[in-house]
Amino acid sequence: MSDTTNRRPNFSNVPQNGINRNVNVLSIKPTTAKKLVIKNLKSEPKLPEDYIEQTWKKLKSAVLAIQQAKPNEYQLEELYQAVENLCNHKMAPILYQKLHNLTEQHVAQNIEQFLAESMDRYLFLKKMNNTWLAHCNQMIMVRSIFLYLDRTYILQNHVSSIWDMGLELFGKYILLNALVQTRVVEGLLMLIEKERQGDQVDRSLLKSLLRMLTDLQIYRKAFEHKFLQATERLYAAEGQRLMQELEVPDYLTHVDKRIAEENERVLHYLDPGTKYQLIHTVEKQLLREHVSQILQKGLDQLLTEFRLNDLNLLYDLLSRVKNGLAQLCSSFNAYIKKRGRTIVIDPEKDKTMVQELLDFKDAMDNVVSTCFHKNERFSNSLKEAFEHFINQRTNKPAELIAKFVDSKLRAGNKEATEEELERLLDKIMVLFRFIHGKDVFEAFYKKDLAKRLLVGKSASVDAEKSMLSKLKQECGGGFTSKLEGMFKDMELSKDINQAFKQHTTVNSRDLPQIEMTVSILTMGYWPTYQPMEVTLPDQMVRLQDVFKEFYLSKHSGRKLQWQPTLGHCVLKASFRTGLKELVVSLFQTLVLLLFNDSNELTFEYIKEVTNIEDGELRRTLQSLACGKARVLVKIPKGRDIQDDDHFRFNSDFTNKLFRIKINQIQMKETTEEQKATEERVFQDRQYQIDAAIVRIMKMRKTLSHNLLISELYIQLKFPVKPPDLKKRIESLIDRDYMERDKDNPNQYNYVA
Amino acid sequence: MADENDNERMDDNQKSDKMFTLKKWNAVAMWSWDVECDTCAICRVQVMDACLRCQAESKKDSYGKQDCVVVWGECNHSFHYCCMSLWVKQNNRCPLCQQEWSIQRMGK
Ligand SMILES: [Zn+2]
Ligand SMILES: [Zn+2]
Ligand SMILES: [Zn+2]
Repeated sequence: MSDTTNRRPNFSNVPQNGINRNVNVLSIKPTTAKKLVIKNLKSEPKLPEDYIEQTWKKLKSAVLAIQQAKPNEYQLEELYQAVENLCNHKMAPILYQKLHNLTEQHVAQNIEQFLAESMDRYLFLKKMNNTWLAHCNQMIMVRSIFLYLDRTYILQNHVSSIWDMGLELFGKYILLNALVQTRVVEGLLMLIEKERQGDQVDRSLLKSLLRMLTDLQIYRKAFEHKFLQATERLYAAEGQRLMQELEVPDYLTHVDKRIAEENERVLHYLDPGTKYQLIHTVEKQLLREHVSQILQKGLDQLLTEFRLNDLNLLYDLLSRVKNGLAQLCSSFNAYIKKRGRTIVIDPEKDKTMVQELLDFKDAMDNVVSTCFHKNERFSNSLKEAFEHFINQRTNKPAELIAKFVDSKLRAGNKEATEEELERLLDKIMVLFRFIHGKDVFEAFYKKDLAKRLLVGKSASVDAEKSMLSKLKQECGGGFTSKLEGMFKDMELSKDINQAFKQHTTVNSRDLPQIEMTVSILTMGYWPTYQPMEVTLPDQMVRLQDVFKEFYLSKHSGRKLQWQPTLGHCVLKASFRTGLKELVVSLFQTLVLLLFNDSNELTFEYIKEVTNIEDGELRRTLQSLACGKARVLVKIPKGRDIQDDDHFRFNSDFTNKLFRIKINQIQMKETTEEQKATEERVFQDRQYQIDAAIVRIMKMRKTLSHNLLISELYIQLKFPVKPPDLKKRIESLIDRDYMERDKDNPNQYNYVA
Repeated sequence: MADENDNERMDDNQKSDKMFTLKKWNAVAMWSWDVECDTCAICRVQVMDACLRCQAESKKDSYGKQDCVVVWGECNHSFHYCCMSLWVKQNNRCPLCQQEWSIQRMGK
């Protein structure tokens, strides 16, 4: 590669952009300069005496032509060669000095036009820009003539390149003039302010002049500081004003727009180095100063109205400022607690509490995942808030969640497919997890489960088992052992009934033709029921006795207590219209069977013969004579059962169906009963605490008081107070399950 | 349906046939140990529940109770079998009446 071929492309390729040009020139320098240095040392031919003067004359006229934008009378190649020759004869310093002087003179003249008394700001900027662009163009052309000088002399002598020399002179004579600089900067700020107010401005003018300031290395000192100050003033005022005037969502949209605009400003004309401080200033004035007010004024509304887009924007904006998300998170938390409390605290709303909780949880989950970027801090805070408010009302949410599950697991719940039901149960489990008194849930759940199992009302065995395994997973086997025991009882009962059937056929005793099955419940697994003695017909008593004898022969040491309230029967009934089958409770059965012997009976008589408890009997008669399927007629008519009422068999009874279920009228669960359930829960807690202590001590052998207490808090599924735990520990020490350490009274040892 | 006429004739009179016949009966009974005192005097847990040690262990085995049966002494006092078998290792007397302990029967 020869020097000339190498030079040519560079010469014509000088880019038309000030900054890039500098970079380009710098990158070319080293390689070409090296080669030329070696060549210089070899030869030193002599020149004619007036050669310097003649040559400079040519060069000077060329430079002047460029400065005055006139055509050049010499060939570029000739001029270039002249510079090379002069340089090769050690004339470079003189040549450089001459070029410097020539440029200085020209630049210095330019100042006059910018010093006029008054001048339109925009025109002033236009003029400045023209002068600047002209200067750049001239320097590019000059440099192309003096390229050889630029590449050899400059590098070795640490003087400014021709381009830089031009910049220095332009800066020194034009922009360092205080008046001119002020006019330029103020003009620029004015243009930007106009644009911020929504006007169209000449962005290329802004861009060019700001580049000029950068090239002259006064961007930061002369412009940036003032620009940022103006920005701060503008947005401080705007933030104050708009926070008053606008609704929060509109304010957020505005801020978002402002930030985008400022980013665009950086993209289009500001120096990229300004970006960080600029955006920071906007964020500070429009957001950071107002975070509390934004949240206070707008968050509740956004969450209540479920405005996902606005919430998303709020999150994104607040994530820009320091502590913004922390404040958002704590306001979010406070909102959930406040709103959640209204859901659980009002007894009037108990009917809808669980569904509302599920909906509320869904909604807030949705907010966290779609608007808050699944931020873990927010999902944890959400959980904490739910746990907090749900336990603000003791026991009731646990009870209602249990009942809600019952309504979903009960037969006749048609609203869900298996998968939907499964998903719903999972959601319920999330609520359950928040409940402190998990055993309260268990007690109420058990009551309903018992009903489902005994009356065969369960919608799906799979769903029942699934719910049970969820509870087990959540709380451990100890928690579900009794519930599982109930299922086990049902299975064992089947086996027993089969064995009993075989037993009776083999021993073919002269037993009544009644198909009897017995559900044998293990006391302790099941809810406790009011014991009730009733008088059964002889046939039934005989059957019962035979079964009991059979059962106790298989299971020594046990006793059986019949639960007449839970029994149910199928009766064949012959009405005038035909034969029907009635599915009825045992109490209903006892009443109806009496009508086989007499057509009309008094209340008093029925009561005496059956021995059914008064209230229970009234409800039973009501169900038979005042309900949907009236197989008895009450005399006189009326809803309430009076002591002197008569009842008659309704032979005219009609019904579309063959098999008719007559619902026993359920006694409303009284507050007393609920209290009783709760009390039983508290009694059970003592046993559970004892068992947990023994379990922990057996594993650890020896443990300090504090560690034991903290392990208990992890294991126990209900709230306890330290004094209660202390009492249980004392009781276990009394019973020799553990002992206080002889040397350290704060330490316990397990006693095997 | 064939005997519709019979039914009509029966009306108002003392009937010869039963109006209601019990076809199926699902009875419910609760079983418990046949003991005088509900609570085991050794661990002070109800005998219907597993003894304290079994409860402490039954975390995994949900039917721990099946093995934790009741035992009756000749004195007719009853305890968890688990509790009593540990007790007699130290003292072969009934903790309630101090009679020498001998098993009368076991729950099943
Ligand atoms: Zn015991
Ligand atoms: Zn045991
Ligand atoms: Zn005894």
